Amino acid sequence: MEILTFEYTAAKPLPRRAHVGVVSSGDLEILFEPSPDQRTHVVVRTRFDGYGEIWKAVLDRFFAQHDVAAKIEINDFGATPGVVSLRLAQGLEVSRS
Amino acid sequence: MIAKVPLKTSFIELRARDRAAAILDTGTFQEILGPFDRLESPHLAPQNIVPQSDDGVVVAQGLIDGESAVVIAIEGAFQGGGIGEVSGAKFAGALELALRDNEHGRRTRPVLLFDTGGVRLQEANYGLLAIAEIGSAMVALRRYVPVVGVIPGMVGCFGGMSITAGLCSTLIMTREGRLGLNGPEVIEQEAGIGEFDASDRQLIWNTVGGAQRHATGFADVLVEDDVTVVTGAVQDAFRRGVPAEHRSAQVDRYLSRLAGIDLKHLDGPMLRERWGKERGEEPEELLKSPDGQGGQTGEKGPVSRGRVWLEALCGGSQLPMTGSSSVLCTDSTLGDERVRYISVVPDPDNRFPRARQGEVGLNEGWTLARVVRDAVDEDVDGERRAIVAIVDVPSQAYGYREELLGIHQACAAAVDAYATARLAGHPVVALIVGNAISGAFLAHGLQANRILALDAPGVQVQVMSKKSAATVTRRSIAELEEIAKKVPGAAYDIRSFASLGAVHGLMGGIDADAPGDKEIQRILNALSDAIAAARSGPRDLSNRLTSVEARTGRSASILVRERMTEQWN
Repeated sequence: MEILTFEYTAAKPLPRRAHVGVVSSGDLEILFEPSPDQRTHVVVRTRFDGYGEIWKAVLDRFFAQHDVAAKIEINDFGATPGVVSLRLAQGLEVSRS
Repeated sequence: MIAKVPLKTSFIELRARDRAAAILDTGTFQEILGPFDRLESPHLAPQNIVPQSDDGVVVAQGLIDGESAVVIAIEGAFQGGGIGEVSGAKFAGALELALRDNEHGRRTRPVLLFDTGGVRLQEANYGLLAIAEIGSAMVALRRYVPVVGVIPGMVGCFGGMSITAGLCSTLIMTREGRLGLNGPEVIEQEAGIGEFDASDRQLIWNTVGGAQRHATGFADVLVEDDVTVVTGAVQDAFRRGVPAEHRSAQVDRYLSRLAGIDLKHLDGPMLRERWGKERGEEPEELLKSPDGQGGQTGEKGPVSRGRVWLEALCGGSQLPMTGSSSVLCTDSTLGDERVRYISVVPDPDNRFPRARQGEVGLNEGWTLARVVRDAVDEDVDGERRAIVAIVDVPSQAYGYREELLGIHQACAAAVDAYATARLAGHPVVALIVGNAISGAFLAHGLQANRILALDAPGVQVQVMSKKSAATVTRRSIAELEEIAKKVPGAAYDIRSFASLGAVHGLMGGIDADAPGDKEIQRILNALSDAIAAARSGPRDLSNRLTSVEARTGRSASILVRERMTEQWN
């Protein structure tokens, strides 16, 4: 298990907290909460060590496209980059609905 | 004009949270201890396993058919739905609060959505203790309101949680649901491929599948995998109310059914024909089986700690025994107390070959229920005698016939009987003199008010042999032993188990195989104290969480209950 942290600057606040996904094989759980500041804080706990670069690439890309100030916790059990992006987008959707 | 055809929606494909919401009346779902409360397992990260924010159990209050309800849904996708300390405490705590509601005149309907392989092996004995507490709350709760269980399917319902399913007032399954005590892989590992071929799909479904379980009477309702149908079946179960006699209390019926079974030609289709026809009929007269089941048990069997201690505590082997050749039971006195001693012992002639080494098998589970219930019935108008379970059980019986004939139900019967006795005011004391393992310990010992244990070599508590646990969790035995040093609930020795707070007396300096007179006297004194403490203490299992050891040893179990009580409506 590896713990990774990331931070991004952001302007738009997250409307409401949201929870998506399950820590099951090939999937992940994400908890979204409003951020106390104008930043996005991401903490990833992943089952598989050594994928920090890929996580950074996926999250950099996502938060370049989505401006949202949030506290985000990810519990990962081997989700592919595609699944990670989908779950992140789903979480934002749930938060706004 | 085209009529609207409602779309079929799969219940199985829903995740636990959505399953719970589907069971509750629309818009009434209110989660207790949800993901943002972050009560995750404290034991997984130290083992390099990513935890989940709800630990895989969703508890939601709401309404069913307009009446107050609580749904407990297990997430099978997270760690196979395994019951750990936190998920187990959420499950047990919700039932305890539902019980409190019902005791205070507020009808709260409990629904259990199973999707679980049983105890989470990484948290072993924490899960075992939680399952005992779940069973205890269910037996108490069933006096007020039906406890409705659903096994929708994916993982199914296995291990200790199959015993929980066996305690339900109504059990609903789909064809995709599976129910059994020991999973096929574990039976193959423990008993060999000749006993059970875990790759034979048809064999598995004809043994533990929903259609088979329904046809042979172990499940009450077989439903289509559809949200509306499942929800409707749950509502119907509550409309029917508490059954006159729960399946786990139908002791004579099942002992008689077992005695009448021809083991040589037994298989799934044959059982459907035999027990399918009998469904709904009155219990038959108790048949005597070829091994003398239900008869005299004067014959001296092999030496075992269970037998040695039973004879030692009763003052000799000349006392009349009831029970069977594998379940010894005798009444004696201890000071002013009448005491019924019960022990499961090896029986080389047991007609079930997988239960010859002292395992708790089919006959053992139902016979334990018989001898405990006899004491309850006989004492109904008088002083409730004490019941002492002498625990030396190497495991539950791992076998094909055992699963087919419902060993989970036999274990549930024993759990039901011991819990019923305790709730009726019988002091129930467990004395661990040897192995106290898994489903066998759940059935024989873990429903006691007080637990005493010898601090001696060969006394251990665990949920699965190291070899099987290694296979299931894909770890080496060395890795498992390393983990046991960090997580006391995953250790096998009695001192680690005692650190969880459920043992009220750990007694050292005693020869567990050949106790001397002074040692026997010490144990008799301890039993006497335990019986007195049980008489003045609570009738539920709450004292396991109020002990000094539990405050540190099971702090998460306590925290979950505190936080849940705060949020409960």
